[in-house]
Amino acid sequence: MGAFLSKWKLPALMLGPFIVLISLFFFLPVLLIGILAFTNMDSAMRWDFNGVANFLKFATDPNILLILKNTVMYVGMTLLLNVLFGLALGILTTYFVQKESIGLVFRTIWMLPRISPPVVYILLWLWFFDPSSYGVLNSFRAIFDMPPAEWLTTHPMTAVVLANGLVGASFGMIIFSSAIKSIPQDLFQAARVDGASQWSIIQDIIIPALRWPLMFVTLWQFLSLLTSYEYILLLTKGGPLFESEVLALYSYHKAFQNFEFGYGAAVSLILVLIALIFSFIMWKFFGMKKMLGSSRIE
Amino acid sequence: MKKTAASFMSTLILGAAILSGCSQDEKASGESSNANEPKVVTIQAQTAGTELTRVENLVKASEKLNEELKEEGKNTEVKVETSSFDGSWEDYAKQFMLAFKAKKEPDIYATGHENIGWLADGNYILSLDELKDSKEYSDVFPVLWDSVTYKEQIWGAMQDTEARPVFFNKDILKKIGWTDEQINDLPELVKNGEFTLDDMTKVAEEATAKGAAEYGILHRPVAGPDFQVLSYNFGGKVYDPDTNQLVLDKKAVLKQLNYYNDIATKKLIPENLTATEWNNVHKMIVNGKTLFYYGGVWNVFNWTQDNFHDELGKVDANWVNEHFGMMLIPAAEKGGDPITLSHPFVYTVSSQTEHPELVKRLLELVADPELQTEHNVNTSHLPITKGGAEHPDYKADVTLGKVAYMSDYTTFLPNHEGYPKYSNALFTAIQAVELGKKTPEDALKDLETQLKNDLSDQLQIIE
Repeated sequence: MGAFLSKWKLPALMLGPFIVLISLFFFLPVLLIGILAFTNMDSAMRWDFNGVANFLKFATDPNILLILKNTVMYVGMTLLLNVLFGLALGILTTYFVQKESIGLVFRTIWMLPRISPPVVYILLWLWFFDPSSYGVLNSFRAIFDMPPAEWLTTHPMTAVVLANGLVGASFGMIIFSSAIKSIPQDLFQAARVDGASQWSIIQDIIIPALRWPLMFVTLWQFLSLLTSYEYILLLTKGGPLFESEVLALYSYHKAFQNFEFGYGAAVSLILVLIALIFSFIMWKFFGMKKMLGSSRIE
Repeated sequence: MKKTAASFMSTLILGAAILSGCSQDEKASGESSNANEPKVVTIQAQTAGTELTRVENLVKASEKLNEELKEEGKNTEVKVETSSFDGSWEDYAKQFMLAFKAKKEPDIYATGHENIGWLADGNYILSLDELKDSKEYSDVFPVLWDSVTYKEQIWGAMQDTEARPVFFNKDILKKIGWTDEQINDLPELVKNGEFTLDDMTKVAEEATAKGAAEYGILHRPVAGPDFQVLSYNFGGKVYDPDTNQLVLDKKAVLKQLNYYNDIATKKLIPENLTATEWNNVHKMIVNGKTLFYYGGVWNVFNWTQDNFHDELGKVDANWVNEHFGMMLIPAAEKGGDPITLSHPFVYTVSSQTEHPELVKRLLELVADPELQTEHNVNTSHLPITKGGAEHPDYKADVTLGKVAYMSDYTTFLPNHEGYPKYSNALFTAIQAVELGKKTPEDALKDLETQLKNDLSDQLQIIE
């Protein structure tokens, strides 16, 4: 007993606060949502259990098909933008800009949207897409004598994907830059001596070395995009109608606009299930386990 | 072993320290240790929006209450703390719900009467049946009691009411050739059912065709009570008190959707009205870009508060009166009755209040015609009692005098718990029709599916 305690006291001290925090703010909410999803809790906030009624309601909800389609579009397109743009930025600021201080300046600029509060960041986008002639895009149109366009009502999903994709790219950029830096310089030098083109260096040295970071960023961003709604809420509120409404935002709207807490929780639970299934698939079929092992480049 | 215990304890302490940030503060009791000083009772009152007189009047009422308490020889002093919420109505409801659960809610929660349904069903508020017998509320306009009645009980003290007229721009009417006399007679024509909804659409078409106005008609850009009134106008009903169910009256709602489809396809409304900011809507009206506007009499107050006019900035009530007229919503059929909707604001009392008796006395005192008038004249609202309507300052008001008669044509929203869902779904249908995404028939079909899904047995459908 004494040996057991002496072995675990330091880990207990170090991990204890975080285990408490994670239990309180992660496991407990998931558990509560799991229970809530089987109640018809509304504005009266009573725990009246109603079996699987919320899930049946989900199946017959007239908006669900459109919302699922939107979710696929939103997550897919944003993920693509996130990863590709992040990769391009990573390569540009670490491989093409060899001078560390300059690369750092560019990376810091790209980090700005991430460190600015979402409300401020979205405010800039709102100004960019503003339907009046004072909006940034519309003032460009004015140069060519075109009338102002209502971007957020005509292309809501594009706006949402752009706003999310650009802010998300900085995450991939940081991961990819550090991975590129860890590639031994002699590989590049040998390639140049052999007369390899820039494209060939990217294709044959950088990308293969980034396989695991790419996997990680894709999975990580996928999971966070699936549950993120705050930028959409601020930018289009899911509208016009349901055109930019995604599942996570629908759960929020049901719970906090219509006060159907039970139904909102059920939608969230379905979202958790979707995330778990996809995580499992990635873990199983894309070798995520190996990714968590030691670095591939020594 | 000791060290393990210490590490475990430190974890607990750290956790407790973090959690203590979430704990609630003790409500300030304000009790005095000195026996001679009166015991101070703090009552919190909350409203939303810029009409601060709604809660400030409670502070004034508390002065009177304190005098009364003194005369009665009671060693108690009431202090009213006020706050005003800034945000959407849904957020206002949400924060009350959550504050209530954390036992931090205001004692007096001022809100639109249609919230009484969910507030009462959720045991958030006290029944106030005894107000009906109180002297101060004896001369309330009888029809207003309907707005605070739910399941045969009274749940709120009416604070004010209003009329929701259609504003018409006199300058635009002149531009299309109307004489001053014709313009001044318009409200009377509407009142007599001689100028119908169709006529209103036709005049709007004429104004836009002649280039006298950019838009013919504007309505609110977000969900709200004004849409329901059109369904009433087409003979629909929305609530069945016998079964306590909301009603989807398909014939009336189809006519209602057809109306919005009509004004949208004729391009009388801006293309994306339902995605426009409130402020921009106000700007369009004040700057004379639209002939008609489905508004509310308190909008006159709004326009005096912000710089909506491009050149003048804030405008005053006289300016509004010079450039705009107000009429009832024209009848849907010739010779029919015109209509409007009132949305009384009410004080509700938290069921967790520690001082229900003092709060109720406060609510009686705040109905004083003098206080009512101050609020009404300042914020362009209508009184709830005959005493308030007789007040000379109210009678002398340039705006309010013109809409007082509208109370005879008024209707209300239902006080049903599910109404917010109904209202949101209806607004979505109207939005779909106006944006040209759905035909009125399809929108009605989807609305029916949505409502069945949202309300299940709380819904009754009339074919």
